[in-house]
Order: sequence, then C-alpha cells, then structure tokens
Amino acid sequence: MSTSEHPSTGTDRGGRLIDARLHLLDRQILDCDGVPVATVDDIELSGIESDGGGTSSAPRIEAILTGSTLMTRIFGGRLPRSRLHRITWDDVAEIGITLRLRVRSESLDATWPERWVRDQIISRIPGGRHAPD
Amino acid sequence: MLLTDLLDLPVHDHNGDRVGWVCDIRFRIPARPAASDSGGVASPEVVGILLSPRRRGSYLGFERTDVHAPVLLAWWIRWRHRGTCLVPWSDVDHVEDGAVVLDAQYRRESPLLSR
Repeated sequence: MSTSEHPSTGTDRGGRLIDARLHLLDRQILDCDGVPVATVDDIELSGIESDGGGTSSAPRIEAILTGSTLMTRIFGGRLPRSRLHRITWDDVAEIGITLRLRVRSESLDATWPERWVRDQIISRIPGGRHAPD
Repeated sequence: MLLTDLLDLPVHDHNGDRVGWVCDIRFRIPARPAASDSGGVASPEVVGILLSPRRRGSYLGFERTDVHAPVLLAWWIRWRHRGTCLVPWSDVDHVEDGAVVLDAQYRRESPLLSR
C-alpha cells in the first residue's frame, strides 16, 4: 500500500474529473430545448462483472437511468431495474448544474407517462388541445 | 452493473479485512479531439473509488478543495470522512457480490478534487 497526498485536478490528463454523487446523481435532465425530462436516478456501467471476475480495463458509463423513485426514497428500498428508463450517454450534450441532452424529450422512453396523460386525459378536456391564449 | 450497486459497498483488502466503504466513484471525461464535430460529452471512464474508512454516505461536496463554507459544517464533514482516500481503479482486484476487493499493493491517493 502506498500513499500520495496530491489532490486530483479537475482537468486531469486532458479530461475533466467528476464524482458520481457530487456531479451526476439527482441532477436535473433537460432536453435540447431546455424542457425538464427527469432526474438522474442511477447510472449503468459497462466493464464490471460482479461474479468475482477481474476488472482489466476501466469501466465506462453507458447510460443514465431514470424512473419513478419517489416511493423508494421515502420508504427505502430500490426500484427494480425493469422500472428504470434508459437514456444512452451518446445523447448527453453537456454536464453542468443540469445535464443537457442533444435530443428532444418527445423521443425518449422516459417521458411516456407525460405523453400518455397529455394524449389520453388532458386532450379530452375542452380547450385541452391547444396552448392558452 | 449499476452505480448504486457499487456505492456504499464494503471494501476489503487482499487478506479479506474490511478497510472501509465506497463513498463515491470518480470519473474522468476524456477531452474530445478538436477535430471532432460529433459534439456531446465523451463517455466518462472510472478513475477510482473514494474509500472512506469509517463512514458510508456522501462527502457532500466538501471533497472539493475550494469549498470551506459553512466552516463548521465543512470541518465536521471532513472530520467524519478523515482517512478517506482515492484508490485507482487499476488497484481494484475484483468486485464480488456485496464487496469490492483491492490488490495487495493498492495505492491511497488524495481524495480532494481541485477545480
């Protein structure tokens, strides 16, 4: 075991360093038009096997996962993987105070409940098919 | 594997002794070549795990060297996480169900993150 006391720089070796809890988890996700999509509830990593196998290369982030985690946050536990919606990392345009995507929210599976409520409920209300004047 | 499968896991050394818990995961976002016109953010790769010897849970942002306020909270959080270090991912031997196991000669680097 060896010890080094030099802090990691924020832009180390030509890249930017971020911590998962500090910079990613629970951040608001906005689409390319600035419309709120969801929050970052979990992250999918590639290259890690939990069966005791080795970890030869550094794992990478494959996707952002988001879902209805309100109840698990209040009462504990975890949402099943099948209940989380996947946004591939290729769709991420910028990481800052929020995560900004390169695509519109309409094209994402994560926003289907909002579209369903709009199409099946809101649109049946008189005046619900157009923006307020 | 999901990130939350790793967070708060106990960390064992090569002899099987517990040395702490995973309190965060540090990533590096590779710089895109200037000629690249695809835009977006390159897929971050894992740099290492932040290993806290005493506490599970977050560092609450006080791992950044330029964050010192409020002073009492900063002092308390840093005291709670004293002994925390960054273990490079290359020094992680393997991840098994319910624990992260380190190499025999794992390195302990500063957990601080300067901007």
